[in-house]
Amino acid sequence: MDTPRNLKYTNSHEWVRVEGKQVVVGITDFAQDQLSDLTYVELPTVGDSFSGQEEVAVVESVKAASDVYAPISGTITAVNNGLLDRPELINTDPYGEGWLFKMLPDDATELESLMDADQYDQSMPDEE
Amino acid sequence: MAFALFFPDPLPYVEGLRLQEALHAARVADRIPDTVLFLQHCPVITLGRRGRSNHLLAREDQLRARGIDLFEASRGGDVTYHGPGQVVMYPIIRLGREGSGSHGYLHNLEEVAIGTCAAFGVEAWRREGKNGAWTAAGKIAAIGFKIQRWVTLHGMSFNVEAGLGGFELIVPCGLAGEPVASLRSLLGEATPSIVQVAGAMADRFEAVTGRVLERIPCRDPLPDVLAAALNPA
Repeated sequence: MDTPRNLKYTNSHEWVRVEGKQVVVGITDFAQDQLSDLTYVELPTVGDSFSGQEEVAVVESVKAASDVYAPISGTITAVNNGLLDRPELINTDPYGEGWLFKMLPDDATELESLMDADQYDQSMPDEE
Repeated sequence: MAFALFFPDPLPYVEGLRLQEALHAARVADRIPDTVLFLQHCPVITLGRRGRSNHLLAREDQLRARGIDLFEASRGGDVTYHGPGQVVMYPIIRLGREGSGSHGYLHNLEEVAIGTCAAFGVEAWRREGKNGAWTAAGKIAAIGFKIQRWVTLHGMSFNVEAGLGGFELIVPCGLAGEPVASLRSLLGEATPSIVQVAGAMADRFEAVTGRVLERIPCRDPLPDVLAAALNPA
């Protein structure tokens, strides 16, 4: 699995890229792979506010539906409308053209609680 | 360590849903280990999130008159039918980064269906662009699931007996002109029992997902950890 070094990660398999005062959020290579070919995306509305771990978006493949969660608290500043016509970009380029939304964090220090690439790679399933 | 619960009698769809949701909440909170339900449903037609009502060939009142319920389910996928004679498998499992296989959860479910067919001498395969498991007589297993907090809900149904008449009232999975198969339509008198098929599915599930299932017939008392999750005081 591809895990870019310069991103932050959540245990619900979102990635976060800091871009000035904003963050860009998408789902990881692992996440897109579990869902198979995505066919539909439900995105939030610009201006909506979410708390950390709140459901923000839904991604669906032919046979699966999965929620996407806010990695931190903040306000939506942009959504990737290109995905509405081409949800498959999440599969082909999860860390690039497949980004989902941008947020303005309420408190940028919340970012420190996210995992770095090594921690994400080492995060093991919560099972025996 | 994971549990497999086997229910001998058909469950109404809502009851199965309630059970799944209780187990899901408990699994998300780490109060229980991964748990897989094996059951049959009372006759019901369910529409997935993308299910189109034009894939439904009868009105709701006509369905009810035939004793078939109708539900809109939160799972992915299109319309399908469940009823006695079909084994439904609902894994409530955390999808971890280890042991999930390189092909993802959908592939694993398909693998369980194909392996279950093989266990009874039936050849089954995937079809490019069409999910599920296919045989010479048509589609034998249908898949639709949801992932919430990275714990799965819903899953797969596998047709054992023929005469699953509810399929005639829908365009299964939105695929027009595709026949629905069952082990009965392929094996005739050699068809295994529902219990045998559920057991074979559990075997394949263990092999494909690398989990060991402690098997519990649900007439027996549940293990404490599950009972507490299912019957919160």
